[in-house]
Amino acid sequence: MTNETTAVAQAEAPERKLSEKDLRSIFWRSCILDCPWTYERQQNMGYSYAMVPAIDKLYEQGSEKQKRAYGRSLDFMAVTPQLSTLLMGINVALEERNANDPDFDDSTIAAVKTSLMGPLAGVGDSLIASTLRIIATSIALGFSQQGSILGPILMLLVFNIPGFALRWWGVHAGYKYGSDIISDAASGGIMEKITYAASIVGLMAIGGMIASFIWFDSSLIVIGSGEYATSLLEYLEMIMPCLPQLLVFGIMYWIMGKNVKTTWVLLGTIVLSIAAFGIVSLF
Amino acid sequence: MLVQSLLIFLVAAIGYSNSALGSSLLSRPLVLSAFVGLVLGDLETGIKVGATLELVWLGAMAIGASNPPDMTSGTVIGCGYVIATGSDIASAVALAVPVSMLMSMVWNFLMAVPGPMMSEKADEYAAQGNRKGMELMTLGFCLLQIVILSALCAAGFYAGTTAVQGIIDSIPEFVNTGLNYAMGLIPAIGFAMLVRMIVDKKTACFLFLGFLLVAYGNMNLIGVAAAGAVIAAVLVLNVGSGSKAAAGEPALAVADDDDNEF
Repeated sequence: MTNETTAVAQAEAPERKLSEKDLRSIFWRSCILDCPWTYERQQNMGYSYAMVPAIDKLYEQGSEKQKRAYGRSLDFMAVTPQLSTLLMGINVALEERNANDPDFDDSTIAAVKTSLMGPLAGVGDSLIASTLRIIATSIALGFSQQGSILGPILMLLVFNIPGFALRWWGVHAGYKYGSDIISDAASGGIMEKITYAASIVGLMAIGGMIASFIWFDSSLIVIGSGEYATSLLEYLEMIMPCLPQLLVFGIMYWIMGKNVKTTWVLLGTIVLSIAAFGIVSLF
Repeated sequence: MLVQSLLIFLVAAIGYSNSALGSSLLSRPLVLSAFVGLVLGDLETGIKVGATLELVWLGAMAIGASNPPDMTSGTVIGCGYVIATGSDIASAVALAVPVSMLMSMVWNFLMAVPGPMMSEKADEYAAQGNRKGMELMTLGFCLLQIVILSALCAAGFYAGTTAVQGIIDSIPEFVNTGLNYAMGLIPAIGFAMLVRMIVDKKTACFLFLGFLLVAYGNMNLIGVAAAGAVIAAVLVLNVGSGSKAAAGEPALAVADDDDNEF
């Protein structure tokens, strides 16, 4: 909509417009987003890499506007890779307007980029980096434990088909609707609904995995802790199947809320387990 | 041995290229271990080790400014040793965790010192309008990380097999037993991290529903995910649309939701 009005206003000047090919180039180039990650400005170089062909198409070579756009593309960036193209699409829609409208204030572009990056990363990280990945993992794990090649294949397919579809949709939707799309989605509550639905599936998958993939070898307990411990475990199992697993999860859940570094919990678990058997082996 | 080390270099390079290939989970132990198994000639063991290591690092992911531990080196070296020496799968965990911590330090250095330097060089090129220069810095930094980190993995694999075999042989029995036991408990850490990220008061009940379906119903996890999709659809379509009479929205929400499932 905004692009059309600009087009009418700028009818006399040679119109600079992006084509489907340029959007595709953004899609492909966005795939390296996270690779040149640095502690200083995070994904800035990867983001810039995806933006430069479109910038070249829109601005005159060697012009001040082009250099400013180059510089802008290297600003701080932190967004979920699969949703990055949505931001890039919005970004190039604004760049296009900037290229055709001499009165356009280009500080708007940086402002829009910065303000959308946070919410997109928030939704993306919980929806894709955790929930979608967990669903893919829960489907793949059983096959992998049997040594079946279906495990890795299913993991890649379940995660990447929606992942790349989202990436493809993002650059087109972002370019077409500009910045309206995010506020529309937010006001309609669509994002909330998607997050809600995805978290239901994700949590159920995790619940199932708690029962499936945490385990106690009860024969070890017989050797390890004597008669009492064995009877305790059997007793717990009588109350509810997989209750010990649930208890272990509950303890870890409580510890993770204490702001302890995960690596220390990991090492602590290993050291404690070994120490426990070490002490027992002395007797 | 030299050939195997070269193959390990290539597999590590696949892992480290994950974020250059669409962040597509190639560096997850479950996937990368299959590659290790493939090049070392024991695909089945590779995949099994992958399942074990995946559970160790289930909660590990890149969120905002925090970096996950370097799963690639841990997977490649841990899985490589298990296959090359025929040792117990538990020893993969014992190796993978310290290796990944060590390699994370190297990687963090690369992202903290040469990375920002190259990024500032890219700023200079941007000011000159030199696109080639900017791209050179970006791709150069990608390549720098991939080559250095993969080479370290391959060197570790080449140098260490016999030494590590010796160490593993000298490990007393109770350490192995303890490790095996810890392996059963470690997944709980990842589950706890994930739940803390997703859960709120409204959705906590679904965690228990999933648990009960498996504990009492012996349902497999694909079934649990499918049941979850149905419940989500019921709640969003039927319950949600009662209060909000907008026709388009729930349909869109469900379409996107299905995307996430399969």
